[in-house]
Amino acid sequence: MTGTGAAGRTGWVGLAVVLVAAVVAPFVFTDFFVAVILTKSLWLGIAAASLIFLSAYGGMVSLAQVGIYGVAGMAFANLVAADGGSAAAWSPWAATIVAIVLAVAVGLAFGAIAARSVGIYFLMITLAFSVLVYYFFSQVTSLGGFGGVNDVDLPGLVGRPGGDPTRLYFVTLVVAVAVFLALRYASRTPFGLALQGLRDEPDRMRALGFDVTRHRILAFGLAAFVAALAGVLSVWYNRRITPGSINLAQTIDVLIIAVIGGLYRLEGAWVGAITYALLDNYSREWTPTVGNVLGAERFNTILGIVFLVIVLASPGGLVGLWDQARDRIARRRRRPPGASVPAPAESPITTRT
Amino acid sequence: MALFGAVVALGLAGCGGSDDDKGGGGGGSTKTQSDSGGGSGGGGTIKVGFLSDCEGAFGSFFEPTASGFNQALIDKAGAKPAGKKPTDGVTGATVGGKKIEIVGYGCADDTADKAIEETRRLMEQEDADVLVGPLSGDEGIAVANYAKEHPDKTFINGIAGAQDSTLKVRAPNFFRYHPDGAQWSAGLGDYAYNDLGWKKAAIIGDDYSFPYTSLAGFVAEYCAIGGNITKRIWAPLGEKDYSSFISQIPDDVDGIYVGIGGSGLINFVKQYRQQKGELDTKRMMGNVFWDDPLVLKEVGSSLVGGTTAAMTAGDSTDPEVKAYLGRLEESYGKELAGLGPSVFTYGYYTAGQALVKGLEEVGGDVSDQKKLQDALANLTLAGDEAPYGDVKLDENHQAISNIFVKKIVKDANGDGVPDVQTFRRIPDVDQTFGGFFSPDSPAVDRNNPKCEKSDQPPPWVGKAEKVSYGG
Repeated sequence: MTGTGAAGRTGWVGLAVVLVAAVVAPFVFTDFFVAVILTKSLWLGIAAASLIFLSAYGGMVSLAQVGIYGVAGMAFANLVAADGGSAAAWSPWAATIVAIVLAVAVGLAFGAIAARSVGIYFLMITLAFSVLVYYFFSQVTSLGGFGGVNDVDLPGLVGRPGGDPTRLYFVTLVVAVAVFLALRYASRTPFGLALQGLRDEPDRMRALGFDVTRHRILAFGLAAFVAALAGVLSVWYNRRITPGSINLAQTIDVLIIAVIGGLYRLEGAWVGAITYALLDNYSREWTPTVGNVLGAERFNTILGIVFLVIVLASPGGLVGLWDQARDRIARRRRRPPGASVPAPAESPITTRT
Repeated sequence: MALFGAVVALGLAGCGGSDDDKGGGGGGSTKTQSDSGGGSGGGGTIKVGFLSDCEGAFGSFFEPTASGFNQALIDKAGAKPAGKKPTDGVTGATVGGKKIEIVGYGCADDTADKAIEETRRLMEQEDADVLVGPLSGDEGIAVANYAKEHPDKTFINGIAGAQDSTLKVRAPNFFRYHPDGAQWSAGLGDYAYNDLGWKKAAIIGDDYSFPYTSLAGFVAEYCAIGGNITKRIWAPLGEKDYSSFISQIPDDVDGIYVGIGGSGLINFVKQYRQQKGELDTKRMMGNVFWDDPLVLKEVGSSLVGGTTAAMTAGDSTDPEVKAYLGRLEESYGKELAGLGPSVFTYGYYTAGQALVKGLEEVGGDVSDQKKLQDALANLTLAGDEAPYGDVKLDENHQAISNIFVKKIVKDANGDGVPDVQTFRRIPDVDQTFGGFFSPDSPAVDRNNPKCEKSDQPPPWVGKAEKVSYGG
């Protein structure tokens, strides 16, 4: 936390406000809104958070997160009773644990390969992982194939999300809050601080005796754990998973969510996710018809334009916009009237912890 | 951190606000609005959701499918097209004094996930009473499963042809008024073995539920009477490069049955020509996509001589068929009417006809959907409701109808596109192939059904009726 105690307090107050709003939400909104907008935003946000964690603290923009959550989701769906896949009919909790362990193992293996590269090469290698996972599950028909796994058995805890989405919503909310707090905590541990060190100055850190590669692999493993949670939750939410759920488009969607929200702050994951979910759902109705150029069936164009505007206006995403506005207000307040020396501008892309 | 709260709060508030602006209706996202809008059907408006594909391998069928569905409302519910494009909607549709409102033309992309997302949007957010759709195999299975969880809504399949969605899922509120993929292949096995003399054949298709079903129909009939399938090749749906699959096609077979669909078939044909030369169509059959008007336009000249089958006959001179195409042309012009014989347009047309007829029987009252579902289960489409042949449902709510066996022939009418020549009609094709497929038989997939000779071949083998439309 670079700020003072006051900033910290604002943070906790903010979290409390959001939590109260989130707890009240199911009693205010329709089941459809709670499920399709809120619950979906929460698990998409968890997936995006795993990407943002790697990007913000490790300097690694990973496109493998959808691949990893695909492994977790597919493993879960295949291990429980379901229509399609191997339908091993395990207890959903056992399946959850095994799916997460498996996804973390795969994540660590991916990390071991990817962690040695940086920049565009890291991006390409992680993209290849996601595509690999997609084709693996498309081609291996004994694990579902193109049709995927349907009618998946869920733990009793979440009830029947099709009928009453409230329980699954709260479960997802608890996981999302836990993920947020845990990742924020992790970033302040010696491990997290060292990770930020090797994001900025890998050579110096190496000179100090840190094993840079191993550190990055571990960070990748932690992010894989978070992505795996999102994967299992996505299956609980959809009650099915198909290769279409983990294809290239989904990889890009999660990246877009992270960028819209802000690649440099964990909160950005959920801000981006809810923005995305709202746009994705309602832009079909809002999209104006402009001759043959624009119309309800081209709502993706609107998504693209919003994405461009956000990226152009603020490299730090929506969270970055807020930071800019707050800094500007703070500067105006601090600056004595008539003073001409501007306060040192803070880059919107600085990570704040 | 504080900002997170602010943005979320703003997002929620903004959303609630915009819904208020829209004023009531099913689009509301707050509880109170939904409650007032709930109890659907009590109002006097019947809300119908339409679901098809506007992206993916079948994206080009979006407007044609909508034109078929709209045409049924135009024919039977007094509707008028609201614009040149079918997805502009219709105005003035009523049945039994109740207004029919199309709450949305949902757009999926042939994946189950997207189809369910759109279904939820139409059924839960827009609060539709009835869904008409979807288009593609796996979508159909997913929507049928969704239907099972929502018994208070009614679902009429668009043109998704996977066998499982009726035979295995058997949702009491899901209805399919067109034959499934296997039924569409009826008569081809008989023709291949007994007329063309194929003793050994290979099959190639997209790797998902519809081609599994489509090819299963061929395998079940062809093998039952003595044919042998030596190789089954599966390519992922949406594949762009078929070369490795084309090179897997064995040379030592008498024939090949091709079950690649949509834009994939066009790529397949073009690449086949580059790799192996012109298609030897005497040794080839194709499923429902082969004589689809869109496919014929693109690569039809390569398919001349090939055999195919489906529930429509492109060359039909039946007065009811001509009237149907005429009405379609009047509503949406020549181009879309030209796609009238496509199973995609026609499947959604019969779905719309069934919907209107079912609604008429219950006087437009959808407050008790059980009544509508009972009416739908027992109705028969005949005459101008189903110009290509009467449709009735079996106990799984699956159509029993006739199938036409056709050849693709050189262009005779001068439009530059090869024609279709129908030469056989197989009456009363049912989903089970005379008991071969059942809820307990293994689901059709890459390896099922097994190729086995049977002393109980499908009942229509050897009983096909000769048809000629003067071609």
